[in-house]
Amino acid sequence: MGMNARPRSVVDLPSATTGDLDDVVRRAQQGDVDAFEHLYRVHSPAVYALCRRMVGDERESLDLVQDVFVRIWQRLPTFRGQSALGTWIHRLAVNVVLEQLRSAKREALRFLDDADDTLLPARTSEHHLDAAMDLDHALEQLPAGARSVFVLHDIHGYSHDEIAEMTGIAPGTARAQLWRARRALSRLLDQ
Amino acid sequence: MTGHHHLTEAERHGAADGTLAPDVASEVVEHLGACDVCATDVARLKSLMTRIREVPATLVVDGEDLWPSIRARIEQEKVAPLRDAPHLGASSRRYGSWLVGLAIAASLIVVAVLARRGPTRAAPAVDGTTSSGQFTAVAESTRVYEEQARFLLNELELRRALMRPESAASADHELQVIDGAIAELKRAIERDPNNMALRALLASSYKQKVDLLKRINNAG
Repeated sequence: MGMNARPRSVVDLPSATTGDLDDVVRRAQQGDVDAFEHLYRVHSPAVYALCRRMVGDERESLDLVQDVFVRIWQRLPTFRGQSALGTWIHRLAVNVVLEQLRSAKREALRFLDDADDTLLPARTSEHHLDAAMDLDHALEQLPAGARSVFVLHDIHGYSHDEIAEMTGIAPGTARAQLWRARRALSRLLDQ
Repeated sequence: MTGHHHLTEAERHGAADGTLAPDVASEVVEHLGACDVCATDVARLKSLMTRIREVPATLVVDGEDLWPSIRARIEQEKVAPLRDAPHLGASSRRYGSWLVGLAIAASLIVVAVLARRGPTRAAPAVDGTTSSGQFTAVAESTRVYEEQARFLLNELELRRALMRPESAASADHELQVIDGAIAELKRAIERDPNNMALRALLASSYKQKVDLLKRINNAG
């Protein structure tokens, strides 16, 4: 786990009892779409937050949320309850997003050992950033690789080794991407 | 470290996020107490860390409910295996009949379940095109299968004279079952025209009819 020991569960479950939720999960696993909708309502805000921050694009993140929940529906029968459902969903969502980033083969996704700082936003006023720009908006300005590593490490608490395993990059590369992301964010937020 | 050299990038980030190895932590702290440049930089990074901890774990999608689109995709997936029913040779015709019957029964159960829920609202398109795109794709599939079925039915009529009476009767029975399901689906779609699952089932049923006709014609 990274520097902030934030629980990885994608959501703090609302007041429904564990028994109620277990029943909802069981029904959804048996093909009850209405029960699955309940799970969607509970977990989609966290999944959306993850997708939004990982890909940095509103439209794409909405498509990804749909992909994630279709995947959850397909895999739900395999959920055995060893982990919290939120944690299971979160990990599945991360995998879907990373698959998407890989398949897109986008130029900006530099999981390679590059040290090209031109990828990072400049400190100049080119970006015309609002002084009140929040972190989420600043994240959008980052290259995909640095943004993904930053979100996984600093927001969701994955270690560099875990990120390396998930993304296929070296732990040292993950560390370098994180530092670059932090530097860029710090510049953007200070403007 | 406390001399002329500044902290490394790793040491600065470690100092900011608290992940410094114990054996270097005290040296780094000592350096920060003596070096304004590094202390200022680490303070800036720490400020970022503070902001990160305040990031909410959830975000709300503004003004768009994704659920109808997700549901449509889920319902569509349910019928996908029917579309991919394997081509059955003459030697497995009995199994094929059983499979067609089962698939049709499943279709009718889905029709009944969906009908009990009442009409479906038009699924809002995620990007303004997705939903209408799905409808168009399914409608096009239905049209193609319908045309193929019509052609194959004509071919069957030409071959009928060459078929054994019991084979012809069996083929007619299976076609009646599928046609009954298709008619039921069309009625259900009239009642609930926005229901993507029903439309997908209709396309799937026509596909089954085409597969059945091909099987009959090949066997004949």
